[in-house]
Amino acid sequence: MEVPMDPLFLAWSYFRRRKFQLCSDICSKVLEDSPYDQAAWSLKTRAVTEMVYIDEVEVDQEGIAEMTLDESSIAQVARPGTSLRLPGTSHGVGPTPAIRPMTQSGRPITGFVRPSTQSGRPGTMEQAIRTPRTAHTARPVTSASGRFVRLGTASMLTNPEGPFINLSRLNLAKYAQKPNLSRTLFEYIFHHENDVKNALDLAALATENAQFKDWWWKVQLGKCYYRLGLYRESEKQFRSALNQQEMVDVYLYLAKVYQRLDQPITALNLFKQGLDHFPGEVTLLTGIARIHEEMNNITSATEYYKDVLKQDNTHVEAIACIGSNHFYTDQPEIALRFYRRLLQMGVYNCQLYNNLGLCCFYAQQYDMTLSSFERALALVANDEEQADVWYNIGHVAVGIGDLTLAYQCFKLALAFNNDHAEAYNNLAVLELRKGRIEQSKAFLQTAASLAPHMYEPHFNYSTLSDKIGDLQSSYTAALRSEDAFPEHVDTQQILKHLRQHFAVL
Amino acid sequence: MSSAPEMKGNAEINNSKWLDAHYDPVANLYTFSSCIALADLHGDGENKLVVGDLGTGSCNMKLKVYRGTGLMSENTLLDLPTGLVAFLMDQHEPRTPAIAVASGPFIYVYKNLRPYFKFTLPPLDVNALEQDVWNQAREDMIDPLSLKEMLDGIRDKADIPLSVRSLRFLMLDPQDMEAFVNLYKEQPIRRQTVITCISTLKKNMADEDAVSCLVIGTESKDVYILDPEAFTILSKMSLPSAPTQMDVTGQFDVEFRITVACRNGNIYILRRDSQKPKYCIELSSHPVGLVRIGKNVVVGCAQETLQGFTQKGKKLWTVCLPAPVTTMGVMDLPTRGFQAVLVGLANCEVHLYRDKNLVSTIKTPDVVTSICFGRYGREDGTLIMTTKGGGLIVKILKRTAVIDDKDAAPGPPLAQSIRLNVPKKTKLYVDQTMRERENAVAMHRAFQMDLSRLRLAAARAYVKALESSLTPMSSSLSEPLKMNAVVQGLGPSFKLTLNIQNTAACRPVMNLAISFLYDESLYSMRTAFFKIPLLVPGLNYPIDTFVECLSDKGISDIIKVFVLREGKSAPLLTAHINMPVSEGLPLN
Repeated sequence: MEVPMDPLFLAWSYFRRRKFQLCSDICSKVLEDSPYDQAAWSLKTRAVTEMVYIDEVEVDQEGIAEMTLDESSIAQVARPGTSLRLPGTSHGVGPTPAIRPMTQSGRPITGFVRPSTQSGRPGTMEQAIRTPRTAHTARPVTSASGRFVRLGTASMLTNPEGPFINLSRLNLAKYAQKPNLSRTLFEYIFHHENDVKNALDLAALATENAQFKDWWWKVQLGKCYYRLGLYRESEKQFRSALNQQEMVDVYLYLAKVYQRLDQPITALNLFKQGLDHFPGEVTLLTGIARIHEEMNNITSATEYYKDVLKQDNTHVEAIACIGSNHFYTDQPEIALRFYRRLLQMGVYNCQLYNNLGLCCFYAQQYDMTLSSFERALALVANDEEQADVWYNIGHVAVGIGDLTLAYQCFKLALAFNNDHAEAYNNLAVLELRKGRIEQSKAFLQTAASLAPHMYEPHFNYSTLSDKIGDLQSSYTAALRSEDAFPEHVDTQQILKHLRQHFAVL
Repeated sequence: MSSAPEMKGNAEINNSKWLDAHYDPVANLYTFSSCIALADLHGDGENKLVVGDLGTGSCNMKLKVYRGTGLMSENTLLDLPTGLVAFLMDQHEPRTPAIAVASGPFIYVYKNLRPYFKFTLPPLDVNALEQDVWNQAREDMIDPLSLKEMLDGIRDKADIPLSVRSLRFLMLDPQDMEAFVNLYKEQPIRRQTVITCISTLKKNMADEDAVSCLVIGTESKDVYILDPEAFTILSKMSLPSAPTQMDVTGQFDVEFRITVACRNGNIYILRRDSQKPKYCIELSSHPVGLVRIGKNVVVGCAQETLQGFTQKGKKLWTVCLPAPVTTMGVMDLPTRGFQAVLVGLANCEVHLYRDKNLVSTIKTPDVVTSICFGRYGREDGTLIMTTKGGGLIVKILKRTAVIDDKDAAPGPPLAQSIRLNVPKKTKLYVDQTMRERENAVAMHRAFQMDLSRLRLAAARAYVKALESSLTPMSSSLSEPLKMNAVVQGLGPSFKLTLNIQNTAACRPVMNLAISFLYDESLYSMRTAFFKIPLLVPGLNYPIDTFVECLSDKGISDIIKVFVLREGKSAPLLTAHINMPVSEGLPLN
């Protein structure tokens, strides 16, 4: 006769093998038989939490409400190099938008997409609520909703017969006294139910029970305060936790608080302090590199990414960022090496082949260029990626002088992504070469309205209007181009020429 | 506000010649250099600042008098002041100057800050034909419509322009004409001009406290010199264009010289004996400021230049300025024998030029719109400026300040010494070029083959996109259209704006309709099909419609928009709109 395995042990085994659904099912059965089995209850909370767990450190996105209704800003004009909000105030060592394209916030595009790199601080409410906020690149209304609603709230969708734990009936004070149950319960409330208020109550009671000596509870309190937007309180909790126990995690949370308070220099100092205790810690080094990158200080960012690679030579983010930096500083052959390394590591997607194709083309390795793009086209997952690949093929076509192909490619890019401002701009230039001024004008206007942060459509519109004699439109367009890229020499020249023209009698 | 301490630091280095006596950023003083004067109004040896405040341009025009840092008195002005001067009109003791404010066709003279006299410009000749026509209208011999026709004819041909009344009449709608004619036909026609600039000229003595005549320039291209006591016209001179700025030197009874900057971009110099200008300076752009230093004339031009001329109109020098000129003033320190030109610039700086040399720069917190230098209170060297934002700045020249004649303009530009950061070619690059050189033929073949394949793939995809009209623009000859869509809103209601433009050169497009395709379980639309109006080429037509999101699960979908042509089954263009996730919940 077969002796069945102890169900709790089996569940534990499933849990360790990350088969959470099975683990949760077995625990449910055990709990049906003996509703007061604390071990099974605790294991089930953990399994259910793990199913929806997302890394709290990495997920961070400022919502529209936090950015546009920000009342805590005192200094409207920050000193150079002390703020993340105005990327223009950095040291000015970054590449110009003529070489490296900019995102809407005025930062050069990065080699690795993170939640905070998708789109920066919008200038106006109008910009904040416009189209780019789609399912892929959405900016939530507040950070309290957004991603957490989409990823975290499992309770609404998965449990048709009602939630596993009814929070409103829970006696939090009772659970807070049981250290073996309270922690799993807290994580369940925080991650699974997303009920920050109850989680905060529980953490407050528990830390009181632990006579304010348990650093773990302080960190959880800090996390709750952070989610609620009480950054100063959360800073206090994290600081106090750090005094008790040095942990990498706590350093990361605290740095996150400082970044949200727009104090990048304090965050950098904190990371360096953390590195004294944990020398060579990859997450801390990455944090430093990211801050430097966001402040437009690409050279130091690259230095730190290199340090990351010394510790962990398979760090995808570091490789991608160094690669893109080499590409945009006119060394595509080195960028090619980095992207090839990513390929060797098993990263196999459309974006990588797209980058490889571009690097090959600019490093004059023509035999591999087009095959890379073909593979990229074969690997596309959605329309936006396809649009980007066609756009880049269009660039190659412009490079080899095949304007018919280029025209088709840019049009295809637009067919797949109707908001591709760069494609509109390039198409306008091609139309202008064909002598179709009205079309060209319409495309440039569309490009300018889709991406007001790009200087190219404004500048092109300015030269176009100048040529056909519409000096007033030319001047206003040149002014907008100057706003987007003040150092652009050609814009300055056209402005100078126009001003002279206007002043002369 | 964090930048404030930094600026003070700069100010201390740059303006060590000046003491910051007073700065009121909210003095609510909007004026230009022509409406500002310093005068000892009460004969107590203390100079006051008299300002003709333009207010908002339509109301709140005031005559303000400042004493020290405070406002001493305020008189309401009826109309916008165009110029303000202080002058001595008689020999009576105590010798207190009167103030003349020019506005419209009038000069209001104030004594002891009380209205004293109002001078009105003589009316201009009325066109005889116009007079005739109105006479006929008065006797009801012609109806308003034929009156309009006749006046139109006179306007086109006559060398004397029409009166304001006739011009106003020509602007009216036919139904209002009758009433207008009945209202005004009994009154005589008058043609009035307005004053554009005002200045003073000593009568017969060169002393500081000698009696002065008023010199006024008018829109009718005339310059009048008025007697200081009787306000009769002593002399009248005419110019080829309307004057805008004026500088006067000399004495009326002996010899004088009036330098006038005119609206046609020329500067004319008038002298005592002649009715017509003696010399003419033709500038390459419009004059913005005019100042006389000794026997030279310094002109600030719209072209961002400062030019110096002799009094006979010979050009001496030209200096390029870093920003457009906003105003100019003269800095005259007779005790030190120092004369220089103050130039207010649009980049918040005031430059001090002595001849063509930049001797000092003052940084101001705002763009300066008026400058006045002279004795204020009991201090001789006081610089008074008002700013674009309505602020008042008072600075005092330090008694120890040394203004040396050396040119303070910087030397060669800094950019010359900056090296370009050109990345070196790496060894890897050299290796790769070696590979390229060795396998040139194979690489070329591979590339050409790939290229042909790619061309085919691109052409196929392109044809597919064209056949199903996937692109957001159509290049067909009959309907060249372009569309892009913008979604606004946080949800569950979204506003969808479609920007449709006809990119043809001259042909309008008609009979178009728009329809939407969407998941009906997820979205609802009030009207999913509607017609769009005729599209005029080159204009952008924004078409709004509203979408409701029905789901509360935080999911989103694509909405497809088709532009259709009547009688055709295939759409002209298609746009795919990636809808944002709805953040709000629908109300039941």
